[in-house]
Amino acid sequence: MRGKLPHPGSLVAFALLALVAGGFVALAAIGGERPTLLSIGPYLWRVLAFSIVQAALSTLLSLALGLALALALARRRFPGRGMVLALLGTTMVIPTIVAVFAVFAVYGRSGWAAEIAALLGWNNSFSIFGYPGILIAHVFLNGPFVARILLDALSLVPAEHWRLASAFGFSPAHVFRHLDWPVLRAELPGLAGLVFLLCFKSFAIVLALGGGPSRSTLEVAIYEALKIDLDFGRAAWLSLIQLAICLTLTGVLNWAFTRPPTAHTVRGLIRRPDARSGALQLLDAVILTAAALFIAPLAFSLLSGLNDIPDVVDADLLRAFATSMTIAVIAAMIACLLALALASAARRWRVTLRSPRVAAFYDFLPNTLLAVPPFALTAGLFLILRRFVDPSAAGIILLPLINGLAAMPFAYRSLAPRLLTAEERYGRVAASLGVIGANKLMIMDWPLIRRPLGAAFALAMALSFGDFGIIALFGGQDLVTLPYLLFERLGSYRLDEAAAIGLFIVLVAFTLAHMSGRLSHAGD
Amino acid sequence: MLRRLLLTLASLCLAANAAVAQGKPTLTVYTYGSFAGKYGPGKTVKERFEATCGCELSWVTAEDAGSLVGRLRLEGADTKADVVLGLDVNLAAEARALNVFARHGVEVKDLSLPIAWSDDTFVPFDWGYYAFVYDADKLPNPPKSLKELVESPNGPKVVLQDPRTSAPGLGLLLWMQKVYGDKAGEAWAQMKPRIVTFTKGWSEAYGLFLKGEADMVMSYTTSPAYHIAVEKKNNYKAAIFQEGHYLHVEIAGMTRTTKQPELARKFMAFVLSEPFQSAMPEGNWMMPAKAPAAGLPTAFKDLAQPQKALLFTPEDVQQNRRAFTDVWLNATAR
Repeated sequence: MRGKLPHPGSLVAFALLALVAGGFVALAAIGGERPTLLSIGPYLWRVLAFSIVQAALSTLLSLALGLALALALARRRFPGRGMVLALLGTTMVIPTIVAVFAVFAVYGRSGWAAEIAALLGWNNSFSIFGYPGILIAHVFLNGPFVARILLDALSLVPAEHWRLASAFGFSPAHVFRHLDWPVLRAELPGLAGLVFLLCFKSFAIVLALGGGPSRSTLEVAIYEALKIDLDFGRAAWLSLIQLAICLTLTGVLNWAFTRPPTAHTVRGLIRRPDARSGALQLLDAVILTAAALFIAPLAFSLLSGLNDIPDVVDADLLRAFATSMTIAVIAAMIACLLALALASAARRWRVTLRSPRVAAFYDFLPNTLLAVPPFALTAGLFLILRRFVDPSAAGIILLPLINGLAAMPFAYRSLAPRLLTAEERYGRVAASLGVIGANKLMIMDWPLIRRPLGAAFALAMALSFGDFGIIALFGGQDLVTLPYLLFERLGSYRLDEAAAIGLFIVLVAFTLAHMSGRLSHAGD
Repeated sequence: MLRRLLLTLASLCLAANAAVAQGKPTLTVYTYGSFAGKYGPGKTVKERFEATCGCELSWVTAEDAGSLVGRLRLEGADTKADVVLGLDVNLAAEARALNVFARHGVEVKDLSLPIAWSDDTFVPFDWGYYAFVYDADKLPNPPKSLKELVESPNGPKVVLQDPRTSAPGLGLLLWMQKVYGDKAGEAWAQMKPRIVTFTKGWSEAYGLFLKGEADMVMSYTTSPAYHIAVEKKNNYKAAIFQEGHYLHVEIAGMTRTTKQPELARKFMAFVLSEPFQSAMPEGNWMMPAKAPAAGLPTAFKDLAQPQKALLFTPEDVQQNRRAFTDVWLNATAR
């Protein structure tokens, strides 16, 4: 039917695997050294055990917060709700160093919480170092993001289901069991995987808030091998261990909970029947207040940079802004195109070829990119690219590419379900009319994925915007991004200006999240 | 849209080569971000060197000294760097082993470094002592020695950097070894209850200190000069320790692959000349490797000076760093 041409998604999948594998081989084999397979000593075991435990706890708490918040927000309408949603989509993009300072501003020795406690006459010195600090930071960064994604998913419940629920007089428990839970269940495993990977790789936060070297992640050892030991073989080997662990864990998660085909149809703004339940009104009030008490102080502490914004707006900042924007746009295009190709391949396996396990492989592939330490991947790809292009141009090529790859799993999350919806709605009609290939994409899919694509694009841009990882190696006079500028100012003792630049980054991300929210919340 | 983006990117690439088109040779110098940044001495150095060389100086930056070495390792013999400025002397052996650097051929003499310098690959361009910085308004009686800091159970709380990821972190690791030798592990264990945390880099630690999370922070004797000169604050001081202070020396080297050996050599000599050196104190907040004829700026004159410099040779550091780090890990990772 389709001829012998492989599906573009299969090509993308193959290219991604080749890219990652090639990067590893190049890194391990630099300078003709034989990569030494080191044994995992007691030190690495400890690091591994800690990484897994802290990532698992962070994930659980982020999911709990996100789930409660999403349900409460789905049931309530209030003025400023749109702004709250945009805020939820922003926290994930906050540069880690800014997040660390935010946690201290609120919970530190001289933070707001300590000041309030002192006012109330409590003087026991509470220390946030260790698990409390790490978990606060991780849940602050990821919990709101989880809420945002789940809220989007909840709003995809078809309007006719709601009409039925109203007609049958569903109780709040029924609504949860029959309408909300199936949607949440479909989203949670993938989200859990994403958050777990992000926390597993967390690095600066774990060091600053962990309080001691017993609390460090594998990424610290990889960083040390790359930047201090210059032992790239060791770095490649450690990266491989990290990749194997992350993939096993997220793989098991995906395998155990294969995404059930969900029915999404016409969306309208629905008045949920359970919104009137008194018990739920109380519960939602508690959830929203608690979440606001947790998120708002951390978010507002960022505003301390506001005073210095006039000082930092100069030619350097505008240039860095333009550079960051350019990179973000290209990265977002890469992320969306790759995600689209993979998602359509996954759909083909799931629906046309009826092989959900293969489809699960495609669903899970984007996670591979999150599990690879960006620093190691950059170094490896650079070694490959160096043979073909000038080293100074390699940075310019790698920067948007790596950012795009890192944002792809997020774009995939918002695109894949919608492609599936399009297939379920119109797949048979399209097949009977012989609409295939690019035509199918334009006629059948485009109207449905247009908005999520926009939303994914904005999210991918925001993610790339806050990224510092790769620019550390390949920045330069010609490649100064905003996060780079932030670190440069920190290095010159200008902490206030760095805070202002951090706030600026967050504001841009907020704007992008707001746009993304408007797109994904509009009706079809 | 896409077209415009590609054009922007292309012009970014071309900007670097613009000077070549004008017929002037370009000298590419790798350095770390804050050196070439808005408040760093990079702009001054560039102007002053270009005034004499008939060339264009182009800065290429990486985040920090560690990233610089990592990048050189990746680029190998293909590197576009003519000169690399801003390596840490503690990582000099690793940098030398890359086989990227050539002999500088500069006559290194009359330095104001507290140690003798005889390296024929690297030229020191500025230096400072590592030191614990404190706020005299909050801590009127700082410890007088490293031993006092380590051994008093009710002493001040300190915020430190992780030696696996940061230069000052490595500096303190070596400092502890110099003072305590084989007993370093016990000393770390003794200090552990008062260590707030080990951060990834200097910036986080210094930020935490300024926000009041700790009484002292591992930094440089020159840090107070910034607060005096820019913020007009005199309360930040560096504690001077009896045992002596570990030395931080920043070094530069020229590559053996440079296509502009003449210019590179000229720059290496320029590094130790007055126009470059006078930009260091208030540009990089470090002591100049060669004292300027006009003397140091006021903010630097009053800085407390340690009596004794401690330093391992780069080769010693390379050989023992892993073992020292393990001692530290074992003592603190409980």
